[in-house]
Amino acid sequence: MKKRILSVITAAALTVSALAGCSQGASTGSSQNSQTSQDVSETSQNVPSSSTMSPVNTAGTAEGKEAAQGQTITFWHSMGGVNGEAIDYLVNKFNTENTLGIQVEAQYQGSYDDAINKLRSAQIGNMGADLVQIYDIGTRFMIDSGWVIPMQELIDADGWDTKQIEPNIAAYYTINDTLYSMPFNSSTPILYYNKDMFEKAGITEVPDSLPKIAEVGDALLEKGGAGEVISLAIYGWFFEQFTCKQNQNYVNNGNGREDVATAVDFDQNGAGLKTLTAWKALADAGYAPNVGRGGDAGLADFSSGKAAMTLGSTASLKQILNDVNGKFEVGTAYFPKVSDEDEGGVSIGGGSLWALNNENPAKEAAVWEFVKFLVSAESQAYWNMQTGYFPVTVAAHEEPVFVQNMEVYPQFMTAIDQLHDSSPKSAGALLSVFPEARQVVETEIENMLNGNRTPEDTVKRIAENINRSIEDYNLLND
Amino acid sequence: MKTSGFHNFLKKTGPYAYVLPSMAVFMVFLFYPFFKTIYLSLYKTNKMGEAKLFYGLGNYRDLLTSESFYNSIFVTFVFVLIVVAGSMLIGLIAAVLCNKAFPGIRFFSTAYALPMAIASSSAAMIFKIMLHPSIGIVNKLLGLNINWISDPKYALVCVALLTAWLNSGINFLYFSAGLSNIDESIYERASVDGANGIQKFWNLTLPGLSPIMFYTLVVNIIQAFQAFGQVKVLTQGGPGESTNLIVYSIYRDAFFNYRFGSAAAQSVLLFAMIMVLTLIMFRIEKKGVSY
Repeated sequence: MKKRILSVITAAALTVSALAGCSQGASTGSSQNSQTSQDVSETSQNVPSSSTMSPVNTAGTAEGKEAAQGQTITFWHSMGGVNGEAIDYLVNKFNTENTLGIQVEAQYQGSYDDAINKLRSAQIGNMGADLVQIYDIGTRFMIDSGWVIPMQELIDADGWDTKQIEPNIAAYYTINDTLYSMPFNSSTPILYYNKDMFEKAGITEVPDSLPKIAEVGDALLEKGGAGEVISLAIYGWFFEQFTCKQNQNYVNNGNGREDVATAVDFDQNGAGLKTLTAWKALADAGYAPNVGRGGDAGLADFSSGKAAMTLGSTASLKQILNDVNGKFEVGTAYFPKVSDEDEGGVSIGGGSLWALNNENPAKEAAVWEFVKFLVSAESQAYWNMQTGYFPVTVAAHEEPVFVQNMEVYPQFMTAIDQLHDSSPKSAGALLSVFPEARQVVETEIENMLNGNRTPEDTVKRIAENINRSIEDYNLLND
Repeated sequence: MKTSGFHNFLKKTGPYAYVLPSMAVFMVFLFYPFFKTIYLSLYKTNKMGEAKLFYGLGNYRDLLTSESFYNSIFVTFVFVLIVVAGSMLIGLIAAVLCNKAFPGIRFFSTAYALPMAIASSSAAMIFKIMLHPSIGIVNKLLGLNINWISDPKYALVCVALLTAWLNSGINFLYFSAGLSNIDESIYERASVDGANGIQKFWNLTLPGLSPIMFYTLVVNIIQAFQAFGQVKVLTQGGPGESTNLIVYSIYRDAFFNYRFGSAAAQSVLLFAMIMVLTLIMFRIEKKGVSY
């Protein structure tokens, strides 16, 4: 009997440890951050004036500059690889060149998803960073969170002119005439195509819609030597952009810009069904096989010379050109429409910079100095050259670095033209549960392509799923 | 008289005092999270993960009526089956092969134990490249054109085999230790009786290994239930939900969708499943294991 009890206890202990293993994830995030918060408190002691400062924002003014002196701020970002090196370069440059002795500590926090989730865990213990880079679809969540100082406040305090920012980019982050975060790395999706294959197949006109891609499909496969017509990754962002292209809203209440969205709209206005029908038609015809999920999933097939076309972010241009390495000529064109009648544009994606409210005006002033540096024409021209993200500052177009870069990579002009051709109206949706919604879209599209679900069924399932999350979120977080 | 009373008191409480430090650790890291999980499973949480709305058994009801949850359970069991069978088989074969002394044995032992030292996420990253349909080495070597991790037919098997290989390292160690505990003389006696290699393996080696085999089985099953890094890196639960193992689904609900309530309820159900499974195994142990 005793042995039996013992064995039950052992079994329980083993399984409890299995259960406890799951809840440890939450604590790792915050323990890492407690270190940074320690830095914060240490450095704030060096500047006694900060505690006596009035709560009025003084960013950028003489008073603010004085307070910012010698501050150390923490900057969380999600740029890995080539882009991460570019960030480090800019941060180092700022640290050595700024005359106020501000030190920026840049910390790579993993992917966009990881960064926003870490921030959430960190904020539970109020131990986040001073400045965070958050992706476009985290915008609504960040506004609702109450953790941030709207960038507009810092801008107004300094009297900085927001017209310096590309208007279509600023439109995305402007809600109720307030610029909540500073655009930093903005991109749009474009169509990449293999010019050599198109030439061999005798196609002169690059397709600008999904049906037109199907039309040239056979020619590319038979004459162009393509192994695959288009390497179309299952990526929620593309679904959002296809909705934009049709000039339709993704969610209700003016795409979540007039008021908090309460339900998705693409199931009501038909945009979702049109997109998925066209997508499935391409897949069923064998032109767009399932190449996997996520933003980068389609790129390798294109770079390796297998696929004749792919969709990808402008920020992938540099990577693609590196990978192709002159094996063939890479062409770029506008992101395709869903049907030939569509007249909408594209919205931007990428990330922006959010100032977190740590109730420390001295740090806010320091953050503002750093933000100003990052969006300066010079920094943005460098950033654009290194990464392929847009220069968010209009003046960057005149920088010699930018002009040179355009000569070497004329493909990049497509992205800029495409953005200018889109109206600020297609600024894209704001939705609190966007990260989750995007996952739902991807999962269901995957199910549609792999299984035998109809587009109608798929749209219905996506809408139901997302609507339930929106409802829950609005109920629990008012 | 008084001192002996104190002595008695010490004698009675002393053992508890020894347990105290480990209990304190268990309290903080096991029991508190455990009860907190049960508490959270009865609530709906807001975006900060705070219990906001009492939902009773609603989270459980939602789960038990959700197609996706049953899919997760099914996928998890298939996964555990492949992983446990695979990793124990690889570990056992490797251990038996390395039980003989031959030149270069150290190299082989190290090689077989090595997966133990590889982090699951980094292994998954390497496999992600190896399994890539157009640039990966697997397709190149086999001359196939299969999209291993984007096709629901193969994705789960790929993740499971990777995990089996990763877990095989520690199994190899356990089995090697078990083999060295078997008395050499019984093999000699068996040889005298005319037993061949296969007979010796079935009738001597396997029974001799059974205690360690049982331990390995329990640990492997629990370990397989907890596989996470591979899924996060390789498939993110996809394609569709074909690799949405329950632990990954918990992670997703908790740290992505910030529905701690639902995640906690899944954790509790997972706990119950592993608990029952472990009890069953301990029962079987009495019959199959000879000490």
